[in-house]
Amino acid sequence: MLNVRLFDLTTLLFGVASVNYVAALYGKKDTLARVGTWICIVAAVVSTAALGVRWAESYKMGIGRIPVTNLYESLVFFAWAVNLFYLFVEWRYKNRTFGAFVMPIAFATMLFAFTNESSIQPLVPALQSYWLHAHVITCFVGYAAFAVSAGTAVMFLMKAKQEEAKTTGGVVGVLPPTKVLDELVYKAIMWGFPFLTAGIITGAAWANYAWGTYWSWDPKETWSLIVWLVYAAFLHARITRGWHGRRAAILSIAGFLATIMCYLGVNLVLSGLHSYGGS
Amino acid sequence: MPDAKRSDSLMDKVWTFFTSLKLAITIIIILATASIIGTIIEQNQPMEKYRQFYGDGTIRLFEATGLFDMYHSWWFLLLLVLFTINLACCTLDRLPRVVRTVRNPKTTLDDGLEKTLGLTDRWKKKGARETLAASYGEAMGREFGKPRVTEDGDAVHLYAERGVVSRFGVYVTHLSIVIIFIGAIVGNVAGFKGYANIVEGQSIGDVPVRGGAEKVNLGFQVRCNRFWVENYPSGQPKEYASDLSVLENGVEVLRKKIVVNDPLQYKGVWFYQSSYGQAGAATAAVTVNKAGGGAAETLTLSAGQKVQVPGYGVVSAVDYQPNFQGFGPALLVVLEKPGKSPVEFWLLKAHPEFDRQRNDPYFLAFAGINELFYTGLQVARDPGVNVVWAGCALMVVGICIAFFTSHQRLWLRLSPAADGRVEVVLAGSASRNRLAFEKKFERILTDMKAVAS
Repeated sequence: MLNVRLFDLTTLLFGVASVNYVAALYGKKDTLARVGTWICIVAAVVSTAALGVRWAESYKMGIGRIPVTNLYESLVFFAWAVNLFYLFVEWRYKNRTFGAFVMPIAFATMLFAFTNESSIQPLVPALQSYWLHAHVITCFVGYAAFAVSAGTAVMFLMKAKQEEAKTTGGVVGVLPPTKVLDELVYKAIMWGFPFLTAGIITGAAWANYAWGTYWSWDPKETWSLIVWLVYAAFLHARITRGWHGRRAAILSIAGFLATIMCYLGVNLVLSGLHSYGGS
Repeated sequence: MPDAKRSDSLMDKVWTFFTSLKLAITIIIILATASIIGTIIEQNQPMEKYRQFYGDGTIRLFEATGLFDMYHSWWFLLLLVLFTINLACCTLDRLPRVVRTVRNPKTTLDDGLEKTLGLTDRWKKKGARETLAASYGEAMGREFGKPRVTEDGDAVHLYAERGVVSRFGVYVTHLSIVIIFIGAIVGNVAGFKGYANIVEGQSIGDVPVRGGAEKVNLGFQVRCNRFWVENYPSGQPKEYASDLSVLENGVEVLRKKIVVNDPLQYKGVWFYQSSYGQAGAATAAVTVNKAGGGAAETLTLSAGQKVQVPGYGVVSAVDYQPNFQGFGPALLVVLEKPGKSPVEFWLLKAHPEFDRQRNDPYFLAFAGINELFYTGLQVARDPGVNVVWAGCALMVVGICIAFFTSHQRLWLRLSPAADGRVEVVLAGSASRNRLAFEKKFERILTDMKAVAS
């Protein structure tokens, strides 16, 4: 299928972009990073086209539906969102060093997708709902924002360590100042949180319409609540207690680990109603 | 009185405890940790399953602490109650203060306030104070918002603000959580959740409540007319559907085909397509026709069951093939005529006249297989659900207000300078997104400086 070829190409582009950004960081060659940006833009076009083609191909097969309904599709959609969110951040902050920390997340996601079944399967009855669109899209925009926040948090921790030691050299030297990183860790969560909230609410609405219960403490639901609680704690600690810097960065990374557990761990490790994403 | 004072301070202590953010964060962390445990220990499983994983001691411990049904255990519910009290207390503690500052904003820029503001600038201008106040006021109204003018001694203060609503976002969000909890409680107390299997052609009037022995009387009847499964060409299920009728005193008042994600609702009770199964064995329909033409009789044959056709013989079905030698569905029947040895022959559904070849006074035809299904329905009445949705909508609104709006304030003070000119001070502050406001402030500053007297 053409869409899978295009996604394979996207994987390759994400890989090359990641290498470029990391190499630019170590070799201090801004040209490499600039090439990385262009590769990311091409990858954005290719992956967007791939999603569109996959959508169209599903219609040609007579089972037309949005391409976000199994593990493969959700992974490529997540990587797509991370890439776009990253490009926005790069443009907004005029700094290409983020790429070395965020694009590998997109690349690893695509590699994992590569190992999964990629054929287009028809929708099982439980997924045939308009809530599917709103639910998956809001959740994944939220996840992508959290990924960017966590990547930036790692950068922050590296940079903070160096600033403490009062050195400026090396790879870490070219990272943006901690003040900028700290702000972005927070801002990305500020964007992710409303989307996660909307994702949980649309999920509850859908569950109520399909099963007659908006909340049944199913592992997926519970983990989404855990993620929500972690970021709620982050926001309260930050806004009312002035948690900045190190502690905020660690909380952001913890939040993203919980997000990964909610997204992948629940399907791969635990069992429950929400088993569609696991195959 | 010393006693009153002591109880006062105790009340204070309790109040401080419940309004502290520390308590909120502690509860959030405990809730999150408990929730993780609840996903690791599978909830509400049969005891036999637990015995495979846990020893007797562990099972006793988990049972005593409610860990097998943790989300409904007394201590988890207590945590939720504590969480709500904490939320309510925080709101009661902080909201009046916010309302006060919003209703009586600081409209004058004194030295003390000026020192606390990050964005300030000052310059001097020739002209009469009143004229200057008027033209600056006009410019401010154009750039930011119509200012309030306060005269204080020989100084004139202009004050304008935008996005006051930003201050309330957090309270709207917190209120929404309380509303969602209220909706959940209403649903639990006044609603019910049940499960019912209805065999095709049958109806039910009461529903067993999930996890309990009692039944809820619906006050009307629901009949399942038919249940069917539709498949994709690949064989995967495409649709599970039930054709349901609602009956009031035996009269049909509503009929609807329900599928997964499209339930039936009547008088606040919802019926959701949830499962299905076979109700008893399948039967085959066989018609008995006179060879010379004439009224047909239809036999319903269960596997191995012998049915008497008066004046002819005994018919039984012994085998069924969905596709017999490429001819499609076929039924193998045995015919026993009195005094003769039984004969066995195939009937083809696609060729109802096929049996004429036996040259008998009667010929048989296979009309099809009837499978009797039951449909499995989740049945729920939840009078609190709309309260929950209202809370959810409010939560999204609250979060957006809290994160994406900013309370911006702008002050301008005109006071006589030592050299006879007028000293102008411009100051601003924003509750959120200060970077963006800084740029806006710079722009306003440039425009203000350009104002002609």
